[in-house]
Amino acid sequence: MSAPPGPFRPKFWKSPLRGTLLTAVLGTVLLGLVTLVALTGFLSHAAYQPDLGRNGLVEPDVPFTTFFDWPTGPSWLYAFTQGLHVNAGLVVIPVVLAKLWSVIPRLFQWPPARTPAEGIERAAIALLVASTGFLLATGVANIQYWYVFGFDFVKAHYYAAVVFVAALAVHLVVKVPVALRAYRTRRVLAPVDHLAAAAPDPQTISRRGLLAAVGGGSLALLVANAGESIGGPLRATAFLAPRRSGGFPVNKTAAGAKVTTGMVGAGYRLVIAGGERGLALTRDELLALPQATQTLTLGCVEGWSTRQTWTGIPLAELARRAGVPDPQELLVESLQPAGILRQATLTGGQVADSRSLLALQANGADLSMDHGYPARIIVPALPGVHNTKWVGSLTFRA
Amino acid sequence: MRARYGASPLHLLAHLAALAGAAWALLQALQLGGADRIVLWLVGAVVLHDLVLWPAYTTLDRLARRGRPPGWANYVRFPVGVSALLLLVFFPVMCGKGDAAYTRVSAESWEGYTARWLLVSAALFVAAGALYLVRSRAGSSS
Repeated sequence: MSAPPGPFRPKFWKSPLRGTLLTAVLGTVLLGLVTLVALTGFLSHAAYQPDLGRNGLVEPDVPFTTFFDWPTGPSWLYAFTQGLHVNAGLVVIPVVLAKLWSVIPRLFQWPPARTPAEGIERAAIALLVASTGFLLATGVANIQYWYVFGFDFVKAHYYAAVVFVAALAVHLVVKVPVALRAYRTRRVLAPVDHLAAAAPDPQTISRRGLLAAVGGGSLALLVANAGESIGGPLRATAFLAPRRSGGFPVNKTAAGAKVTTGMVGAGYRLVIAGGERGLALTRDELLALPQATQTLTLGCVEGWSTRQTWTGIPLAELARRAGVPDPQELLVESLQPAGILRQATLTGGQVADSRSLLALQANGADLSMDHGYPARIIVPALPGVHNTKWVGSLTFRA
Repeated sequence: MRARYGASPLHLLAHLAALAGAAWALLQALQLGGADRIVLWLVGAVVLHDLVLWPAYTTLDRLARRGRPPGWANYVRFPVGVSALLLLVFFPVMCGKGDAAYTRVSAESWEGYTARWLLVSAALFVAAGALYLVRSRAGSSS
């Protein structure tokens, strides 16, 4: 059966740039970038310490959880890895578009599969392209608070990443030898190049020019967003970043969390449990305990960060007073009435770090309602939302 | 085997392993609420790129180049491409798609995004125009 007209016929393809070498170069760049994005993504999963309590946001029994405790230093660690995840995820977009452009004649190849091997290969590539598009589109929408998905972003993004890793792994098995051959024969006329146009148009841009344009696109996206990840004065340079305003951004307002002033007024008691006898402390009693001041970076899963100076009681001090001086875990619960993130479980190592605080103040002033008054958790390198605000109870587990 | 299948048995085994792993993850995802939407987004990403985005930009490029001297194209392609890329990625924040959610969580509102995108785009067009002018002058005087 002869090929249908249009893109199914080789003569349709006119660009003189397409060829195995261009695809190999784009593929190599892409491999470096997606490895970074995937690794930092799975690291973020690990940073939530999904093996503890109700921390797991995907499924309680999901495999590939953590084999290690997420460290507490440097304090900007999570802001760094997650900033890389989000910004490298943006930088990768033009490279993905260029890579797809470079191989798109193969989409229309006729017949669609000459052998069973080609058929199964194309099925894997379909999964690779679909999961790539899915991950980029959902990630880009999520950092812009555009929750149009109609499904749970965290879970779907996680499973799509697993599909992506599987499809990428087998794509590498097949294509790394092809790319290496293209590099080796770059100065020789390759005998058969399925990607090169049979009857190309005259050249309007060089391959280097195309690569420079792709790099320029990546740079533009990076400059547009990266300031929100670095924070400080550079935040203002992030001209399209969703989190460019304010020096001390709020991740969730008290109103949004349904925490009222009545809940944190004179009747407020911090319940500390886990020891032989429980404690219930007023905010004044908390202020009377030994205080420490630490400058720590809060990094959000959405890729922005903020560095502030916090004053409060070291969690280790509270553990001693609770009668559990060397806890294995700490369950922190918020006054926030609902939501999976109204609670978080910290590791023993996070409690033991002297920089981990139950903060009562930020930058020398009492916490505002939106920043978690009367008391919030601040632990170095902990994912932002696990630094629970409006803390109602601490339960230490020996 | 090679003659019938078209590749080595390792090729088949590697693909079966990858497809099985991917199928596991897909089955997990399809047990989530909104499974039909997940499928829609997976298929939609491919369809939107292959049948909308790619045909649109290649057609625009061909139309824009038709009948014009070859040295002309890249001075327009580059700034238009970067501007379009910024729009493609950041149109939700420019159009305020997540406005209500953002205000709920942050007590702030988004302002000036479209204006900044337009200004950056204008700067790119001016820079490309200036570069074209400088280079074509230099080319004609030599």
